[in-house]
Amino acid sequence: MSSATTFAPGTHVLLVGTKRGLFILTSRDRVEWSCQEQVFPNFRVFNAVLDQRGAPRLYAAANGDFFGSYIRYSDDFGQTWQDAERGIQFPEESGLSLANIWTIVPGRASEPETVYCGVDPASLWVSRDRGVTWEQNAALANHPTREHWNPGAGGLCLHTIAPDYSNPQRMWIGISAVGCMRTDDGGETWAFANKNTRAGFQPDIYPEYGQCIHRFVQHPTQPDTLYQQNHCGIYKTTNGGEDWTDIQRDMPSEFGFPIALDKHHPDTVFVIVEGEGRHNVTDQFTVYRTRDGGEQWEALSAGLPAGKGVRLGVLRHGMTADEQDPCGVYVGTNTGQLFATNDGGDSWKLVADFLPSIYSVTATVIQ
Amino acid sequence: METASATTTVTVLLPQALATRVGDQLRAQVSGATLRDIIAALDEQRPGLRFSLCLETGELRPFVNVYVNGTHVRYLQWLDTPLPPSAVVHILPSVAGG
Repeated sequence: MSSATTFAPGTHVLLVGTKRGLFILTSRDRVEWSCQEQVFPNFRVFNAVLDQRGAPRLYAAANGDFFGSYIRYSDDFGQTWQDAERGIQFPEESGLSLANIWTIVPGRASEPETVYCGVDPASLWVSRDRGVTWEQNAALANHPTREHWNPGAGGLCLHTIAPDYSNPQRMWIGISAVGCMRTDDGGETWAFANKNTRAGFQPDIYPEYGQCIHRFVQHPTQPDTLYQQNHCGIYKTTNGGEDWTDIQRDMPSEFGFPIALDKHHPDTVFVIVEGEGRHNVTDQFTVYRTRDGGEQWEALSAGLPAGKGVRLGVLRHGMTADEQDPCGVYVGTNTGQLFATNDGGDSWKLVADFLPSIYSVTATVIQ
Repeated sequence: METASATTTVTVLLPQALATRVGDQLRAQVSGATLRDIIAALDEQRPGLRFSLCLETGELRPFVNVYVNGTHVRYLQWLDTPLPPSAVVHILPSVAGG
């Protein structure tokens, strides 16, 4: 690929995972973006992340159609890649085989060598050596309810991981269609955290587990507060998931995949909801924003497309926010458009088009 | 086809899609009595290659096709297919497209 082996400090980097590889976009000003060449064109990249807790390391979830799925990492911004020495492979006696790698999450600042990964079939994997070797979390693998877990449309996937920055023993995970689970003892045990979240597709719509959770984010200064986008609503917890409050309000649909948060104004949350066709509900493609923690939502559409022929879907990792102020938000569609705002959502611009179907977007600024 | 149960040395031809995983060495000479042995031997030479060819549960990946002297192993004995002396083992991904 043609990119430099490093980027200058202050460079904004977007990692765009698609149905046909990973694209790296860069910008100096969040106005003009430059798209680098494609990496792994024969792999479905569900997630990629740039970890800057030490020397920069780029991780990618490369899901193959023929020869398996791999976590890969690059120390030169994507020019060369390594496979994990001991990657994610289920033991033969488990009877399980890796279907897809869904998410890669750098650990807390206090554990700079640690990286977490969620996959289908639902399991949590941990690397203590920056992605070189991986171990499966045994307690989740052997959870007593596991035989009753059912997949969502995307598989039985562990897609969201939130290591609590305030408590090294606490972490939340999201599994479709199982719900939110939390550990308070560093992964030794896991409990469900789904109270008051609906599973409207089941006879019992408030089960202990079985919810089709889609994505959640943790508040950056109030660690007990998380926001969740679900198959059946938008929720907020202020007690670490002991229970959840529906903050869907007057949104035009309860269904949506992604959710993102403005780190500098963390009562500001962004969601996208979709109708039955799994695309924009009306003819206007819209991002929704709350600035008061979910009391009210406003529709953002300046610069976003509209029309009878506009039918855009956004997958669970398809939207992200950067850590700038004003906040940048990036939305990748399943038809290959990438929209961006650099003013917290007030205005949007198409920054890339004609990409393969976009699965994920992450944003980083080079330190 | 001719069969044999004794260990023999065969030629394995790997697909271009695996080139980066095998250091561009797409032709290998390995020994074994069955296809299962051959894949184990390949994995010894190129650690991790078995995972590329087989699910963790042991069977061949669904879109990996293996031919022994031109015959797909689904018409033979899958991984237990015995290998004739000097056999040529082709490993190919399924056709993708229309």
